[in-house]
Amino acid sequence: MSNKAKESSIGSKVTKTLIYIFLSFLAVVYLLPLVWVLYVSVKDDKTLFVSPWEMPERLMIENYTFAWTAGKLGTATLNSAIVCFVTLILCLIIGSMAAFAIGRMRWKLASPMMTYFLTGMMIPVHCILIPLFVRFAKINLTNSLVGLILPYLTLSLPLTIFIMTGFFKGLPNELFESACIDGCSIYKIFTHIAFPLSKTGLFVTGLMSFVANWNELLLAMVFISDDEMKTLPVSLSKFVGPYNTNYSQMFAAIVIAIIPTIVVYCCFSNSIVDGLTQGAVKG
Amino acid sequence: MDKLFRDKKAIIIFVAPAFLLFTFVLFIPICQSVYYSFCEYNALTSPEFIGIENYRQLFTVDKTMKIAIKNSMFFLVFSVVTQLIAGLILAALLTNIKKGRNFFKNVYYLPCVLSSAALGLLWMFIFTPKLGINQILAEFGIEGPLWLMDTKGFIILPMWVIAFVALWQYVGQSMMLYMAQISGISTTLYEASYIDGCTKPQAFRYITLPLIRPMMATAMSLNAIGSLKFFDLIFNMTEGGPNHMTEVLATHLYMQGFKYFKYGYASAIGVVLLIICLIVTFIINKFVKVDNYEM
Amino acid sequence: MKKRLLAVVLSVAMVASMLVGCGGSAETAGGAAGGASGEVQEITWMFWDDLNATEDLISKGYKDVVDRFNKDYEGKYHVTVVTTNLEEYYPKLNALVAAGETPDCFIVSPGPNLDVYVDPGVAADLTSYIKADGWIDTFNGGEGAFSQQTYDGKIYAVPLNIAAACVFYNTEMFETAGITEMPTDWNGFLGACQKLQDAGYTPLTISAGTAWCLSMLAGYLCDSEGVDTAAIDAGTAHWTDANVVNAANKLVEVSQFFQPTAAGDTNDVATANFYNEEAAMLIQGSWAIGQINGANPAFEDKCGVFAFPGTDGRVIAKSDSIAMSAKTEHPEAVIAFMKYFTDDTAQKYTAEVGGKIPVTKVEYDASVAPAQLAYVMDVFGNAKSTFGFYNESLATTEAGAAFDDAMVSIYLGTPVEEGLQAVEDFYVNNVWK
Repeated sequence: MSNKAKESSIGSKVTKTLIYIFLSFLAVVYLLPLVWVLYVSVKDDKTLFVSPWEMPERLMIENYTFAWTAGKLGTATLNSAIVCFVTLILCLIIGSMAAFAIGRMRWKLASPMMTYFLTGMMIPVHCILIPLFVRFAKINLTNSLVGLILPYLTLSLPLTIFIMTGFFKGLPNELFESACIDGCSIYKIFTHIAFPLSKTGLFVTGLMSFVANWNELLLAMVFISDDEMKTLPVSLSKFVGPYNTNYSQMFAAIVIAIIPTIVVYCCFSNSIVDGLTQGAVKG
Repeated sequence: MDKLFRDKKAIIIFVAPAFLLFTFVLFIPICQSVYYSFCEYNALTSPEFIGIENYRQLFTVDKTMKIAIKNSMFFLVFSVVTQLIAGLILAALLTNIKKGRNFFKNVYYLPCVLSSAALGLLWMFIFTPKLGINQILAEFGIEGPLWLMDTKGFIILPMWVIAFVALWQYVGQSMMLYMAQISGISTTLYEASYIDGCTKPQAFRYITLPLIRPMMATAMSLNAIGSLKFFDLIFNMTEGGPNHMTEVLATHLYMQGFKYFKYGYASAIGVVLLIICLIVTFIINKFVKVDNYEM
Repeated sequence: MKKRLLAVVLSVAMVASMLVGCGGSAETAGGAAGGASGEVQEITWMFWDDLNATEDLISKGYKDVVDRFNKDYEGKYHVTVVTTNLEEYYPKLNALVAAGETPDCFIVSPGPNLDVYVDPGVAADLTSYIKADGWIDTFNGGEGAFSQQTYDGKIYAVPLNIAAACVFYNTEMFETAGITEMPTDWNGFLGACQKLQDAGYTPLTISAGTAWCLSMLAGYLCDSEGVDTAAIDAGTAHWTDANVVNAANKLVEVSQFFQPTAAGDTNDVATANFYNEEAAMLIQGSWAIGQINGANPAFEDKCGVFAFPGTDGRVIAKSDSIAMSAKTEHPEAVIAFMKYFTDDTAQKYTAEVGGKIPVTKVEYDASVAPAQLAYVMDVFGNAKSTFGFYNESLATTEAGAAFDDAMVSIYLGTPVEEGLQAVEDFYVNNVWK
């Protein structure tokens, strides 16, 4: 018995090492291209084309200062942050409300309603761009951040509802039964039981919708004309000229744009980890 | 309990905000664009009804449409299958290690949070013969292929390249979804199984897999829809070229609608895309049947 | 009671937050409009490059024009620039037109791109403005300067500058290869390529990854074979005719002299090959002068220019043009603004800094201008006639793209007849209906 256990522990050690080697190799595949972006962003365009893989003679920090000032990235970051956070919060609340009704409550139209929301996910944004823009122009919603928040919110809803419905469905029935016995109202069940228990789901969907909106270009490009209202992706595209592109400055701008995402992501991912361990302890 | 969950008013209150927003901002424009698909419309003049002419052209005349459908189908199958397998493997490996779990998870998920337009540009750079991978291969005396320009074969090389880049970028998402679901599985189930003499792979096969099946359906539908709508990477890596060989439905729609202003025609492509999406989601949900297990 | 209250709060909160959001925006929008109107006439100009972040010398010149206009007309007119990048320019412009918010004036390429705005009456007829006050007399060639912008005798846009497609070459490499006379016909050109190759150089750098670059060469070859695009558009000539086949065969013939990575190189890479002295010749529009000299200032002295050989004195030319919205409320302001683009200061800048050919009879200091401009001016001055880029002078923009794609596929190995049949099919299905 003890011998067998020993053998299996040696075996598992070998497997563990193999797993780590595999994971590390994969990590390199993931990080290299991103390191490369960082590295291109401190080169100048000329040497970029002559010797793309060589170290630059001098770090071109001015790529960053130029990108920051000429691209007005400060304002753009602020705009993006406002749009994305407002959208994120509204989306999580509205989306999980609907998901709760669809996933947990009993009504005949629940599954047709789900299909209805799903169609929104299947339509490429290009299809609705012109009708939506014409509609928004009529009610003076173009060229304002609210005019971006509304479509972003709506476009994020289907995904949120879709994933959250899955999470609510996965919650154990006993929880709700005992809440019922305690005399909780349906609203209290939602706000005090279902919503907090689906933290993991909320973080994952929140992250996905936040990222999608943070990177969205086409709607922002068409809806916003005013320089003071432009979001980050629109500002990044400023470096693509009609005949040639300022690659190194553009990559500098991309790095600037990536940093907030990574910061937000790290905050979120830690919460996810908390959520994960909590779930494990509870189980 | 039952009564509480059948409360009509509560249902309405819960669904109404999402329903109203969705209807006004998304559904009405969708309907409009369905109408445009039966019109000749270039966004500059008012639409003119021409019946099913757009659809007739789309299916009988348009050669690019055939390529686009082929590529989109390839993409669909490739990404659903590889994302499912790779996502599950990564999730299983990561839940089984303690040290560095967060690090690896964060690294694999990182590309998901970056703009696919920017990443597309980056990969285009890396696959440019003069600048990227081929220069490194040349160091070893290997002449690299034309990654993004080769046109031989049924599924051409650039499509494989793009498909792998897409896998690289999005597999983190599937992994996250599976991990989130696995974390919800009660540890007592595993403990009980180990006592019964289960090995870890067995536990994965007989406990984890069945219990995360609902999430598999969700993640697969997401992948399927995402891959059919796939646009940014292709547009930034090849723009559908060379000679429309890497065109997919979404890029074809964009070119027709915004490069050549055939907005009605583009809407018709959009409708076809929507129908394919509906069929595919239906199939996935039918075959990856969602059973409600207790966790 | 408590239940009901919670329900009401939940739903009201949602609706309220949305209403507040909308209300707020309406207010700010109204406020901004109120502040801006008044005595000053506000106009908007839409352009396809960001004026602050750009490195493009011509775009920088446009920024000066805007600044001068706003300063000189302070209190009377004011122009606001709406910018996008080139990729999203037309989608955005069309969305604005569809929503009834056409910018007062906008930049546009002549040819089928301009047709799109002239046909439905989006662009205004400018003839009377251009013919008034002697504005037209400042242009080189008078009315002839507007030939690409004229429809049924009416002028719909003002050209701002001209770029000509030429062969840029590395004089040092030509010398080493023993080429003393610039080739003037097709065989001479192939001979020069051969000599360069024998001397160990890459004769020609070109981009097939960016389709229009290869198509520019193909356009020259078609023209030298006497392909008549007007006849093709009318349906009296065909893409499968012998002269087009000859042109395509010439393309295949010359492709052996391209750099080995041509199939995958983008425009930027192909141009960089030239100014980094890795190839002897580059066929490119004269806008590339700024890019070449900017990236490698030492190269200016070594860079020569000659006209593409064997075209019987015909040169490909392209101009940026500016059109006015038919619905603008301030046509005088728009015209005043347009005149700033064609005044002496702006046109001098075009030549001396921008490296493009001015449209007016302005006198500029040739010694300040990039060395290559003088050569381009020679090429342009000696040209018997000009014609547009093929992808901008065929029946529609999509027809132009079909041509580009066919040329790239032929270069990549599709048999000539098969490649041309694809363009022919496109015309059968879309143009000759």
